[in-house]
Amino acid sequence: MRLFQVGAGSGGMVVLDLLMRESCVTHVTLIDPDIYKAHNGIRHYFPPSAIGRTKVELAAEWCGERRADFIVESLAIDLLDPNHQAELEAAVQACDVGICAVDSEPAKYHFDLLMRRAAKPWTMGEVLSGGIGGWVHRFIPEQACYGCVASHLQRSIVTDNSPPPDYSNPDGMVAETTIPASKASIDAIASLHALLTLDMLEGTAHDFTSLLWTLKRVPGMFDEAFRPYRFRIVRRPDCLICRPPTVNPVQEDLDVALNQALSRLADQ
Amino acid sequence: MSLLTTEEGKRRLLTVEIPAIETYNKDRLPEYKIVVERIGSALLLRYRLKPGHNIYQLETRLLSSYPTIPPETRVTTPLRHCPHLLEGQTMCLWRQGSTRATSRWDPSKYTVVFAVQATWRWLACYEIWHETGEWPLPEAK
Repeated sequence: MRLFQVGAGSGGMVVLDLLMRESCVTHVTLIDPDIYKAHNGIRHYFPPSAIGRTKVELAAEWCGERRADFIVESLAIDLLDPNHQAELEAAVQACDVGICAVDSEPAKYHFDLLMRRAAKPWTMGEVLSGGIGGWVHRFIPEQACYGCVASHLQRSIVTDNSPPPDYSNPDGMVAETTIPASKASIDAIASLHALLTLDMLEGTAHDFTSLLWTLKRVPGMFDEAFRPYRFRIVRRPDCLICRPPTVNPVQEDLDVALNQALSRLADQ
Repeated sequence: MSLLTTEEGKRRLLTVEIPAIETYNKDRLPEYKIVVERIGSALLLRYRLKPGHNIYQLETRLLSSYPTIPPETRVTTPLRHCPHLLEGQTMCLWRQGSTRATSRWDPSKYTVVFAVQATWRWLACYEIWHETGEWPLPEAK
């Protein structure tokens, strides 16, 4: 089985470490442009001597030291880099399951796009600020996309009743509202992420899209620690991210149509 | 998704955003229509709004990462410094994870016309604040 993983940070590395120990998993394409820095050390596997090297290079070494037959194709590139999209699309096409372990919203939406184009299933893990819990999402082709899931969860779940810090917003644009999570909480959610990815590789079905697992009791938000909440989120027919295109012109026609439309709107 | 260079971005513009702008412009007085200009990898929308007594000139910018990243709107008409106004007279309109649906940009549901409507609401609040000293909507959370 072959993985396509984006993110070799403190969570992504745990997911990769757990999955590469399974004999059915033989290959990963690992994407992360980041350099390992001193502040990463407290939540990462790598030693201080690794500072300054790329995370994907270190991840490949980590896997190689534990399993010689496990193939890591490491790409120290940005998922959103337009110059590498063909390479990324080929890697996605070749994979069995995608693993999204990134924080940024544009990267999550782009990961979703790559997976939908190739009709591949994928999973995503998110640790809430302060390590009070986390999400693992499962995405199946033709079912809810990341846009459907993000929209549904923001609409229906009360996550920020209390004043800042905003626990609901681990990757929020407001830096001061984020609180670092402990390595224990990151590992707990990443382990669930790995388990659900393994289930996906084995073809085990679940009746939920998103699993929220609480790790701490937070008054007004989580009544209990260590409690699972399962959400079955259906694909929205009117979702502007995944609804089928209403027109289907070829690329050249698309450019012509867009230029014409923009010319019309420039002449108002 | 890069708005003007990827197939998905172009499709989003052609099938979602541009039809929404054209519907907004239909039967509207010419001076209140949205005009769109391509600036590098971004699109700039110029328009006027009159929420109450005054007319305001506005610019809404769709960056290449739109719609994942919400549109940025700036008032080019000089304003008094007021709550929810950022540097360069950029409006504070969106807050990720907000419990108020209209303060939360949702790329799966909203078009740029929703941002224009949110701008109208912001300006209506500004006019009330200008007269009373109080922002009429509670702080977005």
